[in-house]
Amino acid sequence: MGLVRRNAPPPEETAAPPTTGTLMRQLDDADPDCRREAALGLGGVAEAVPALLRRVAAETDPLVRDAVLTTLAAHDTAAVATGLGGHLASDDAGLRTAAAEALATMPVSVPAIIPGLLADPDHDVRVMTAMVLADLPHPGSQTWLAQMIAEDDHPNVVTAAIDALLPSLELEHHDLLRAAVQRFPDDPFLRFTVEAALR
Amino acid sequence: MTDNRPKVLVVDDAATVRLYHRTLLDEAGFEVAEAANGLEAVEAALSTAFDLFVVDVNMPKMNGYTCVETLRSETVGTPAPVLMISTEDRPGDADRAYAAGANLYLVKPVNAERLARVARMLTAGVAA
Amino acid sequence: MTSAATTGAGLSQADFEKFRDYFYKRTGIQFTSAKRYFVDKRIDACIRNSQFDTFTSWFAALRLNDRSDLLQELINQLTVNETYFLREDYQFDSMLRTVLPDVLALRGGPNRIVGPLKILSLPCSTGEEPYSIALRLLEEWDLIDRIDVEIHGADIDSDVLSRARHASYGERSLQRVPAKWREKYFTPLGAGRFQLDEGIRGAVTLHQVNICDTLAMRPFREFDVIFCRNVLIYFDELSSRRAAENLYGAMRPGGYLFLGHSESMSRISPIFTPTRLPEGIVYQRPIGANR
Ligand SMILES: C[S@@+](CC[C@H](N)C(=O)[O-])C[C@H]1O[C@@H](n2cnc3c(N)ncnc32)[C@H](O)[C@@H]1O
Repeated sequence: MGLVRRNAPPPEETAAPPTTGTLMRQLDDADPDCRREAALGLGGVAEAVPALLRRVAAETDPLVRDAVLTTLAAHDTAAVATGLGGHLASDDAGLRTAAAEALATMPVSVPAIIPGLLADPDHDVRVMTAMVLADLPHPGSQTWLAQMIAEDDHPNVVTAAIDALLPSLELEHHDLLRAAVQRFPDDPFLRFTVEAALR
Repeated sequence: MTDNRPKVLVVDDAATVRLYHRTLLDEAGFEVAEAANGLEAVEAALSTAFDLFVVDVNMPKMNGYTCVETLRSETVGTPAPVLMISTEDRPGDADRAYAAGANLYLVKPVNAERLARVARMLTAGVAA
Repeated sequence: MTSAATTGAGLSQADFEKFRDYFYKRTGIQFTSAKRYFVDKRIDACIRNSQFDTFTSWFAALRLNDRSDLLQELINQLTVNETYFLREDYQFDSMLRTVLPDVLALRGGPNRIVGPLKILSLPCSTGEEPYSIALRLLEEWDLIDRIDVEIHGADIDSDVLSRARHASYGERSLQRVPAKWREKYFTPLGAGRFQLDEGIRGAVTLHQVNICDTLAMRPFREFDVIFCRNVLIYFDELSSRRAAENLYGAMRPGGYLFLGHSESMSRISPIFTPTRLPEGIVYQRPIGANR
């Protein structure tokens, strides 16, 4: 009948939170909801990073994977950057885009893996790298993107880099864009993009 | 005056790709709306009945395959044709697109005439 | 203050577009070109209050260094951050007409439901939002005499919570409350202030919590409806994702989430299912443990 007040704290409030050991075991639980909560509960726990990285690789439920990545990305460390960087090459579109999104929030440790990614023989990986750089809040992003535009030999990588650079495009980049059109005269989209950017 | 050109939703995280597809499809006689990721597309499709979707693969928040699956699921349930356009040309990508519910899968870059032709073909029968 | 060193009307169309794209990407809020004049003036104010003297340097600091102080000020300038009774009322219409009947059906119907319906307002600020929910339920929901409803409000700020507890409001905040309700549920305190009845104040439980803190959010469970309006826009990418995860954990499968009028989950997280109601888009926690 009507509005009721809840005076006592909910029972969970009094229960002790699960220990790190329990949460780490629960990362492999059969119930996705249990895995999801365990991943979130491990926020800020450095010793859980290796287990979380293993979970990203194994996880098939996108909801759980999102939770694991939310926790992992807050550890802006070399181990996490390297671990997630490897997934940019994944055949699973959900995994590679989720990894790119997480990397874009890690400005401390991602710069160290950029040179390796820019040299990756797989152009799809380099396209994903442009996606990371588009959102990475780091002053070096512009320079790497400019380098991709000037040097990458795949037109899709160059157009992805141009798109990522556009929000911070400066006058000094205009020649770079014109040169890109010269290098790929047969790519209609690249030409269109550069013309739009220079207008 | 209401616009009775067929409505297309262009879904891509790259602003330049959206502009390019918008320009081409506008010239081809479509009314164009844009979404910057799969989730935005799903939300847009809940409010507007589109006649065609042009969907990228690699996007943040919700990738193209999941987007198309969701458009086909009971969450949205649209019967409209879906054209997926991707930078990827690995083996199996096209199969994945068709399994998700796409009608056609093309690899970037797609030139102007081809996009216009395919878009018109997929929407043949929609009042223009 | 100073007349020099401002952008004035000098924001170029290209700068305006860059700004608009950035702001949209960051907050999900979109400005049409019709709002240009308003946006220009507010940006101007932000630059003047910062230590930067050009749009370019200010914008670079905002974007590249992700300065949350600059972003917070910007959002405050460009949005209404003051709360009031019956704000975005169409969402309460939606709750009464569509969401509560559906939630009841999910829980076995009005005769078979076990336990109370639970509604959370997070952030509740000075209390107008949870109290509005209470008033609309008492006045307009015909099942209120048969079904128990728990309303909770929570906020990170202990000052606003103590004001919510005291529940005395001025004209600005009460503007949209019908005169009849005002007579029935409020007592004049003088000096243009009105205090909400003890009965309703007492029925709403208030908590202090940081929505981004998973451990602190753990006791919030099994809510049928959550209002999380006008706070996620302030958060960076990771904080808003964590907040979304925590809200998900606080909801029952099939429960409903309302965001602020100009907000959208599409910039934050795909874990909820968007659903179209006659009054607009809401989000649901998927019903299966797994999608
Ligand atoms: C603009 S008010 C919104 C009030 C109400 N929901 C409305 O829409 O009118 C924003 C509120 O968010 C609260 N807030 C900010 N960060 C928070 C956090 N991390 N956790 C919980 N509340 C927070 C502030 O204290 C403030 O009261």
